[in-house]
Amino acid sequence: MRLFLLAFLGLMAAPAAANPVALSNSVFVERVSTDAKGNRKIVLEEPKVVTPGDRLVFVLNYRNASGKPAEKFVVTNPMPAAVQYAEAGDGNAVVSVDGGKSWGALAALRVPDGNGSQRPARAEDVTHIRWALNAPIPAGGTGKLMFRGIVK
Amino acid sequence: MTSKLKLLISGSMAAALLASAAPAFAAGTTAGTVITNNVTVDYQVGGVAQTQRTASDNFTVDRRINLTVAEVGAVTTSVVPGQTGASVAFTLTNTSNAPLDFALAASQQAGGTAAHGGTDNFDITGLSLFRDVNGNNTYDAGTDTAITFADELAADASITILVVGNIPGTQLNGDVAGVRLLATAREAGTAGSLGAAITETVGANTAGVDTVFADAAGVIDAARDGAHSDDDDFTVVTATLNVTKTSRVISDPVNNTTNPKMIPGAVIEYCIAVANTGSAAATNVAINDPVPGQLTFNAGTILLNGTVTGATCNADGSAGGSYVAPNVSGTIATIAAGATRTLVFRATVN
Repeated sequence: MRLFLLAFLGLMAAPAAANPVALSNSVFVERVSTDAKGNRKIVLEEPKVVTPGDRLVFVLNYRNASGKPAEKFVVTNPMPAAVQYAEAGDGNAVVSVDGGKSWGALAALRVPDGNGSQRPARAEDVTHIRWALNAPIPAGGTGKLMFRGIVK
Repeated sequence: MTSKLKLLISGSMAAALLASAAPAFAAGTTAGTVITNNVTVDYQVGGVAQTQRTASDNFTVDRRINLTVAEVGAVTTSVVPGQTGASVAFTLTNTSNAPLDFALAASQQAGGTAAHGGTDNFDITGLSLFRDVNGNNTYDAGTDTAITFADELAADASITILVVGNIPGTQLNGDVAGVRLLATAREAGTAGSLGAAITETVGANTAGVDTVFADAAGVIDAARDGAHSDDDDFTVVTATLNVTKTSRVISDPVNNTTNPKMIPGAVIEYCIAVANTGSAAATNVAINDPVPGQLTFNAGTILLNGTVTGATCNADGSAGGSYVAPNVSGTIATIAAGATRTLVFRATVN
């Protein structure tokens, strides 16, 4: 307990960082190659050659560079217009199919079907992805969020 | 870290995703489009909302060259000997994510199995290419326009191209001529002129828009060569007429109709049988038969459009035809494919 308090005080005393939360957003192209033995191998490449239909992996690395826990950490990612949502790599992600007004699991969302009624939302309807972290990110803590998309 | 988040790029998950069918984006995002992913983060420290943080990432969509050439329909095109302006139709679709020109080349098949199973055994003449202006998949002289390339074809757009030629008059029923259409992607360039050749970006990638060939193999081109091709064929469908002439003695002045002999004064019945062994009906079949000088034509005995049973002339039909010495003649309006029709007349031995 004493050690903890000391550590806590030490953190309190640290000067506030200029960028208390550091973000790094990157994208990879996911390619499948099959070796001579027929084993499939998935390779993540830099997005140098990207053509329609390619599968993309968007990765957000974050780090709490401040000396205090970051709470109610909410990450919002609008889908780029030329990318179709495929899958969020985490069960805690919620999506929006109405431009960020309402949120939920994709299976629970509905969209107008153009004929005056509603139909279940599909992956191509997703406009935003959001992660709301339950637990605070401790000082110095890091993490990674990702989702998959397909170049339209 | 106490968050429930896990390390997310797991192999098994990726494999499961990739196993699912990729959605179809025919031409897709235009080449050169910069895809920017923006992400925002809101959080609190000590219960106080902090300044929103953002991050973004860019990449450029490269140019995927893809096209399909496909014959319209799935059956051979029937033609008759001597037909001019016979045509087969192909569609050319630009499934690239950029507008392109396409060089077009029609060629003849040289033997071998044609598109619809027949064996190629002749070439059409006057091979040429037209754009199907009125969209009926058939060449219409004066309406469809000659082309040598497809100009400024937008992504996902397609045009119908007619391969047009003439059928030599000497071709027989069942002859087959295979033709092929090869389209090669070229730079869109300026409207009205065929653009420069396109090469795939090889080796190190460039920062700008790279070019990737993604086309399938056609009948006369390889996969990923920036070209595609398909084949189609013409099959000659015509009437094939075989003529046989038989005669029998009907009566003579001595035996009358009982075992008549070919003596002077005997009546001879001639049967000219025209068999159509082709695949199309023959129309306006004109028959002309000079009566030998040793015989005298019996007026009013011509029967037209009669039938045969096996090789036996039934000597039926209806009155018709004409006689202008020394020729008996008559015209049968139609002889269907596989049918035999006759012209029958009688004459007396001098």
